[in-house]
Amino acid sequence: MRAAFVLGGIFLGVNLINYFVLGHTGDYLPGGQRMGEWKEAKIREACYPALESPERDELLPKLTSNEHRVDWRDLNRAKEMTAALNCYLVTHPNAICERNNRAYIIDYINRYFATFDEMMNTAKRYGESEMSTVRNLWDSPRNRAINAALMQVTGNGRLIKADFGWTVPAAMKPLLDRYKGTTDNCPRA
Amino acid sequence: MIRQLLTLILAFVGGFLMVGAWIWAPQISSAMSSFVSVGPSVSLFADANRLGRPEVAPVVRSCIFRVVDVGPDATKMEPSAAYFILKAGSMQASVAALAGKPDDPRSGFRTVLSAIKWGELASCIYAQDDRELCDPDNRAAMVEATTKFFAFAKQAEASKSPIAGGDASVIENFSDKLLNALKNHRRYGTLVAADFGSFTAPEIMRIMREEKETRDICKR
Repeated sequence: MRAAFVLGGIFLGVNLINYFVLGHTGDYLPGGQRMGEWKEAKIREACYPALESPERDELLPKLTSNEHRVDWRDLNRAKEMTAALNCYLVTHPNAICERNNRAYIIDYINRYFATFDEMMNTAKRYGESEMSTVRNLWDSPRNRAINAALMQVTGNGRLIKADFGWTVPAAMKPLLDRYKGTTDNCPRA
Repeated sequence: MIRQLLTLILAFVGGFLMVGAWIWAPQISSAMSSFVSVGPSVSLFADANRLGRPEVAPVVRSCIFRVVDVGPDATKMEPSAAYFILKAGSMQASVAALAGKPDDPRSGFRTVLSAIKWGELASCIYAQDDRELCDPDNRAAMVEATTKFFAFAKQAEASKSPIAGGDASVIENFSDKLLNALKNHRRYGTLVAADFGSFTAPEIMRIMREEKETRDICKR
């Protein structure tokens, strides 16, 4: 009995570290037929070139004003995440139909919105003008293309609420609710 | 039942500590070395509303490119990135001083250079309007630059390699200028002792203790 408790404690500790420290949030997405193994996703490697020099892509997020309190690391994160998600959803629109890719992309969508929320929370401290700077930053042509792609993949059932488990990003909830019950139109092998 | 619960908590804490220590060991070790060599930049106990994020401070935006020379890229580079370069360079100087040979002249040179750079930044910040330091980010930048300047100046003084005459007088000038500015800002209420860490240079703490606030320029 005691041994079970000890093992249980260690198991819990290891999982908390895996989630919060190592950031392997993809391990905790729901399983099932639709979802595969995020670590095996081929789309990740296929999109490496899109991440090689994001500074050359003029359509990625950029700051419109010099008067801001955005840290360069956050700016780079916004650029990289947008470039990556743009590649996963816009450049390769069918990638999400493959189980492993779907798991990876869903995890990435969670991170994308979490990063935006985090930056908005920081901006809140400085008032409306800073919040608008961050909002504008995340409203580049690539971000708008991602939004359109997200609408499309939820509209055609390639992405459903159950795929996210208990971690549905707030921005995605209305979309996922609107298209609830849509059957996916992925090409069958 | 209580004993079982206790066992579970102990097991959890033990497991977390063991695995956590394994994963975090490099970060803990590097944080400790930086802490020991130059002391914490800003007080860990300071009021979060008083000290913000120095890297994004508007005063850093106006001053950093006078201190960090990145050539023609300065227009393309974010000031917070240049500030990071300055911090990374100083960290290298601290680690080199800690781990390098005590009589290595390069290590002494890096320390002197770091002291001068932080001194230049702090002087530039103090040259701005006094009310600029009512902003938590600006105040944090000022505290960090001043603390780092005195820490490196002390480290350079203590090192075995002598400081070149010119550099010594530059450091001394900065030191006098900064101590004066600290006195003023203590009187204006823009700085208080709690803004500085416990390991801050004694001359800073002496001013913070001895000078009294005469007016609060941040009150509108």
